Amino acid sequence: MNIPNSSSAPAPGEYAGDEVSAIVLDPGWSTTRAGFAGEDVPKSVIPSFYGQIDSDSGSQYLFGENAIHNPLGNLQVKNPWGDDGIVEDWETATKLWEYAITSKLTGTKAGHPSKNGLNDGNDTNGDAMDVDMDTVENQEKPLEDSPLLVTEPGWNSAKAREKTIEIAMEEWGTPAFYLQKTGVLAAFASGKASGIIIDVGASHTSVTPVLDGMVLRKGVQKSTLAGNFVSNQIRLIFKQSQPEIPLTPHYLVKAKTPVDAGAPAQAIYKTFNIPPHDSFRRLEEERVLTEFKESVVEIWPGPGRLSNGTNEEIAKSMPGRPFEMPDGWNQVFGLDRFRPAEALFDAKAAVQDADNPRPKDEHTIPRLVQAAVQHVDADQRPLLLQNIVVTGGSTLLYKFNDRLNYEINSIYPSTRNKLIAPGPVVERKYAAWIGGSILASLGSFHQLWISKKEYEEHGANIVEKRCR
Amino acid sequence: MPPFKDEQIIIIAPGSETTLAQLGLPESFTPARLRVRSRMFPAEKEGEWEPYKVRRRQDKPAEAHNGAADGDAKSVADGEDEIVYEEDRVSEEGAVWPIQEGRIVNWPCFFALVTHVYNSLNPPFHTPILLIAQPVWTPKEHERLTQFFFEKFKTPAFGLVDAALATGWAYGVHTSTIVDVGKDKVDVTAISEFIPHIQGRVTSLVGCGGEALTQGLLARLKPRAWNRDMCEQLKKSPLCEILPPDVPIPGTKEAEHEFISNPAAAASTGATASGPAAAAAIGIVPRGPGIDTEVGDDATAEENEGVLDVASIVAGGKMNEYLEKKEKEKLEKAAAKKGGAQAAAAAAAKPVRLPNSKREKVTFLYEDHALLDSLKSMNLGSEMQAEMEARLDEGPQRKPEGADGEPMSTVDANGNAVAGNAPSGPIRRELEVGTERFMAASGGILERIADAVHRTISSVDEVNKRSELWDSLIVCGNGSKVRGFKEALLAAIQAKYLISPSSATIFTSEIPSNISTPTGTGANTPQPQLGPHGGPPSQVNPLLYAATTAQTQHLMPHGGNPLMPGMSHNVHSSHGQTPTSIKFVKPPEYFPEWKEVGFDEAAFLGAQVAAKVIFVVDQGQSKGYMTRPDYNDQGPTGIHDYAL
Repeated sequence: MNIPNSSSAPAPGEYAGDEVSAIVLDPGWSTTRAGFAGEDVPKSVIPSFYGQIDSDSGSQYLFGENAIHNPLGNLQVKNPWGDDGIVEDWETATKLWEYAITSKLTGTKAGHPSKNGLNDGNDTNGDAMDVDMDTVENQEKPLEDSPLLVTEPGWNSAKAREKTIEIAMEEWGTPAFYLQKTGVLAAFASGKASGIIIDVGASHTSVTPVLDGMVLRKGVQKSTLAGNFVSNQIRLIFKQSQPEIPLTPHYLVKAKTPVDAGAPAQAIYKTFNIPPHDSFRRLEEERVLTEFKESVVEIWPGPGRLSNGTNEEIAKSMPGRPFEMPDGWNQVFGLDRFRPAEALFDAKAAVQDADNPRPKDEHTIPRLVQAAVQHVDADQRPLLLQNIVVTGGSTLLYKFNDRLNYEINSIYPSTRNKLIAPGPVVERKYAAWIGGSILASLGSFHQLWISKKEYEEHGANIVEKRCR
Repeated sequence: MPPFKDEQIIIIAPGSETTLAQLGLPESFTPARLRVRSRMFPAEKEGEWEPYKVRRRQDKPAEAHNGAADGDAKSVADGEDEIVYEEDRVSEEGAVWPIQEGRIVNWPCFFALVTHVYNSLNPPFHTPILLIAQPVWTPKEHERLTQFFFEKFKTPAFGLVDAALATGWAYGVHTSTIVDVGKDKVDVTAISEFIPHIQGRVTSLVGCGGEALTQGLLARLKPRAWNRDMCEQLKKSPLCEILPPDVPIPGTKEAEHEFISNPAAAASTGATASGPAAAAAIGIVPRGPGIDTEVGDDATAEENEGVLDVASIVAGGKMNEYLEKKEKEKLEKAAAKKGGAQAAAAAAAKPVRLPNSKREKVTFLYEDHALLDSLKSMNLGSEMQAEMEARLDEGPQRKPEGADGEPMSTVDANGNAVAGNAPSGPIRRELEVGTERFMAASGGILERIADAVHRTISSVDEVNKRSELWDSLIVCGNGSKVRGFKEALLAAIQAKYLISPSSATIFTSEIPSNISTPTGTGANTPQPQLGPHGGPPSQVNPLLYAATTAQTQHLMPHGGNPLMPGMSHNVHSSHGQTPTSIKFVKPPEYFPEWKEVGFDEAAFLGAQVAAKVIFVVDQGQSKGYMTRPDYNDQGPTGIHDYAL
């Protein structure tokens, strides 16, 4: 046997890890994360997009990565989230989340009675098998034996919260439930109980002040200057460049041939008898843009803004980065690669056109932080500024932290400001989930959650009283 | 002392089509000794399962349908009418396949299958079991399996190893992209530093496996009255091939352009009336050019009609007429052959020498199981049956390894080894197939797999790992056995995703990037500048920098692993995009037995390696398996702490 030391995992039962396999669900606009509490990464990460094919016999819904990237005829790609960062289409969201849990964690529900093998006779467990396996499959609701922790954005509405517990209790039959804000969980993931959480996701950027594990609701700030906004900026840059830069997603290309930089693409394109919907194309374009963000886009790291003084000149002199489109078109991006994300910090710098007006100044990340800090008691501010937790997939933009650091130090020059940005990408992307995993595996978590009985007694609005 | 010995270890690899198993690790690892088709037959008693089809059979043909079927033993004497229950080891009528698309869909049946496999191995008491888990199995299902293995087999130790991870072990590479082409599905997994990327892996991409290839053939050949079974066998034969995009399909315009010497093509179009070609046209008129050419269309159609229906003819009792007709045909054919004997021989000899990919038409030997089944169910006397079989059999007798008999041996390799045990051999029939055999994957299968690979690798968070992942593709799984599949897949991926060096970077790289252009401040002497913030020097590839600062997380705790020479290397390229190159990993050289059969079942090899390591070499230190006391302590949920 191994002798336990500080680096070995605690023996089971040593930490109050009671043998409950709680499931943590962290739904987001771009991906939905789900996994078992106590694990270090979510096992199930599925896109929050879903496919829909309308036909005469009704709509067919398609979930999961494999389905939504398959260019089927008339395929529409939709997202259950609304523009305000709260779930809009609850019906599909429920199915989508259920898919996230069942497809990769618990296994699918028992199928049709004729197929699941249960009706092949009652003696299945006879001498051939003395293990009583079939009880597991007998359940009708997917989560009957797992408590569930769901995350919510800081600005979630009371209605949405009640809806969530309703789904968990009634549709999924979970025995215990808890709802926690992503901000708090992200702070937990970094081992902090207090701090300012800057979460730059796909649809929203939010700044959440957390004190002793509680969100200061008044202080929660959000804006839409996030990942999707950056994608949109890239699209605008492509559109406004001379000549216009074509954005052709992979699925339209059959084979490409190398061409000179800037030369028109010479690719063999695919044709579809019944093409997928435009929304499918947009999703696939987004994949290309993601690649562009990963490999080309850079944030001007400071000092000053990109438009300040000679900064643009310096940026221009930095080596460009080439990018090749799926159809083979390629070019080197010099100054342009600094522009898409600049507006996260400086609204003036946003690329604009008639449909995309200039974002408001108070929606930039520095101003959000400022506004959030304003709502905190003056004597607490230094504490919070020492624990600025950076999370969300869009914070992985190259040099994001350098710039954020510069901006915050220029707003608060007199305090000790410290950014906590976990290095590992997983921790940055899934911080809220990881926090949830930690919380739900704590022995003391038992005291927090709402049991089925309590729900039945008090109704859905118990969530307002218990999950603050 | 290691807790287990080599010869005690059981490895089981369940698959949608074939389940592999082995008891004991040989000195030099060999392919799985036990191959079982992953199917069971419902027994007479509900809820029980039989490994083979049990057929009721009576000696007197006249009394075929009057014996009541009660009793559960294999043979029951029932008065004077002796009902014999006979195990038919070939037939698959009414089989239940518990694993579909990698998922276990019928648990009782699956457990029965595993039990059958376990009993066939006839293990001694102290046997640890290593099970190869399909990527699509969920943690809850792992628990269920754990519970089953411990409680049913009372195994002293149980381990689960992910199929993709096992494949990586087999190849001995720490970072790789595994494309596992199964029966109905494809799994794509990116593994970096022995850790599979769970979040982005593509599991169970349906409609892309071997079955899809068969269906692709079927879609093409259906108008010619082929059935699925014929297509399946054609797919497994070396005649079926997936050609890389740049190789034209013979018989098409481009191909003719190149190979005008192809006699069949020339004859059908009448382009060159040269000696042998003309002779061929005279000699074998009815069996001439294919359906897609004009000549000889009716003839083949007529013949094909016969081809399809044999089983139903037999069942319908028109057997003798059919056989007579056949005899006549044979005679005619022989006569025709004699007529143009020499010329035809010359013609026939020529196409044989051409590689498969350049021949427009080939003849293919098909084993008709359906026919055999219907013969059997007719309850003929054994002598009569043998005679029928002999007369129907078109294959060259006693020549299984000949050029034409090759399909048979490949089928054997694919798990039909039971054929040899059958009371009578399969009935072989000749079929002719045209260029359809090159079109198995024409339904966009390769593109979907390519897209899955791209998605999987793009979802790997560490951007710097991606180029290494692209450079270490492994295509495995029996679905990829079709000739040319792997090469065609690679070609498809390369055509679509390979990033070529940008011509634009030539200019930018001429300017040393750490020299700023002279600014208007009067300092017109270029001077080296640090990054604006004193940060990383700006000439470093930003991604490379991001990568090197972020990559320290997944270092394996034990550094001196011989399989990881120098950790991951970052090839510096001006591109942040991947892939700039795409390559296959070379299969390992040091498993001679595996080299012979190919590495399509590399997961099994990897499991052997893993079993050796976790059960024997490291003496249980790495917690690669769960022991009985562990199970008693923790229950099935504990498996997650142990699974590799």
